[in-house]
Amino acid sequence: MSNIAFQRLQREFKEVITNAEIAQTGIRLDTSDDTLTKLKGEIKGPPDSPYEGGTFKLDIIIPDNYPFHPPKVSFETKIWHPNISSQTGTICLDILKDQWAASLTLRTVLLSVQSLLAAPEPSDPQDAVVAKQCLTHPQMFTETARLWAQVCADAPGERNSQLYKKLTQLMDMGVGKESALSALSCNSWDVSKATEHLFS
Amino acid sequence: MALDENATDQPESSTTQATAGSGEAAGPATGPAAGENKDDNSQFECNICLDVARDAVISMCGHLFCWPCLHQWLDTRPTRQVCPVCKSSISREKVIPLYGRGGEQTDPRDKAPPRPQGQRTEPPQFGGFPGFNWGGDGAAGGGGGGAGGVQFSFGIGAFPFTMFASTLNFGVGDRRPGAPAAGTRQHDEEQFISKVFIWIAVLFMVWLLLA
Ligand SMILES: [Zn+2]
Ligand SMILES: [Zn+2]
Repeated sequence: MSNIAFQRLQREFKEVITNAEIAQTGIRLDTSDDTLTKLKGEIKGPPDSPYEGGTFKLDIIIPDNYPFHPPKVSFETKIWHPNISSQTGTICLDILKDQWAASLTLRTVLLSVQSLLAAPEPSDPQDAVVAKQCLTHPQMFTETARLWAQVCADAPGERNSQLYKKLTQLMDMGVGKESALSALSCNSWDVSKATEHLFS
Repeated sequence: MALDENATDQPESSTTQATAGSGEAAGPATGPAAGENKDDNSQFECNICLDVARDAVISMCGHLFCWPCLHQWLDTRPTRQVCPVCKSSISREKVIPLYGRGGEQTDPRDKAPPRPQGQRTEPPQFGGFPGFNWGGDGAAGGGGGGAGGVQFSFGIGAFPFTMFASTLNFGVGDRRPGAPAAGTRQHDEEQFISKVFIWIAVLFMVWLLLA
């Protein structure tokens, strides 16, 4: 990593860690790696969204030529959102691609990801299945996204009993929590279709 | 960012808050505390490396950068040259270097080329041929109001003479005192003008002989 990248990351770290105002926005930054190339981010699901109160972990990979190229950011926590892949966690966000600017920091990136959670853009999707559901069955989308946040990101609140029942039904068959969620969500919460999808 | 916050000039305020320009006379009498002082420096931080700007340049949109940082940014995206802060159009010709006192004893620049030169615009010159509005920048054909006196319109008329003058290469000596140095634009123009008048004289004599 270049010298400028390392020095800048140190500054950014200090800013996020020491600034109380930033902590209030529910943004955290962490690293286990002294070279600062692999970082862990954390954002709180924004209020008035299906993700409210959830804790979402992000993988951040800093390229050698940071800040002239954007960091690679993806969700480690599973999330149901039209602009984030429900399978891989890849984020579709312009500032992480061609709209990146060298003055943006990890803090502003995490804030942008947080506001993406509050304002999904199904017209420019990363996950086509989620986007389709978001556009055609908004109610089901909201319920699905909320349940994902509750199951995967410890979001508070009462779980949708109807959907949760179907989830436990699949989990009782020995299916992992996340695969069960994914199979059901991709098949409009049709249990027989989801099992077919899982066991075929 | 810090620049934006401080962009508007603060009128003399009686608050004790340390605001933009802590060094200004209008600042609070008590002076900012040490911690605030450090924050104030952030307005002179490069928007790319977030360090105090070295070899500082400023864009037309008012954003501060180290020249090596900005150069690398422009180099990274040759097709989309925008300010990293406000995304307004930017180019290496359109940044202004900032020269502070003793600013040159900074680290030698590694890869980036030296900062672009500051531009010195010469004041307009009146003199030479009074009333002869020789526009220089393609203003052949006699442009707007000159310094006074008669105005010659040389647009089409002069064109063929230029051809002859340059092909035949009249060696007009230039030994006047205080003549502009060879190679300068003024020198070239004067050479050209004298050649034109010589040709006019020659043609006039030919016409007299034929008539
Ligand atoms: Zn810099
Ligand atoms: Zn700008």
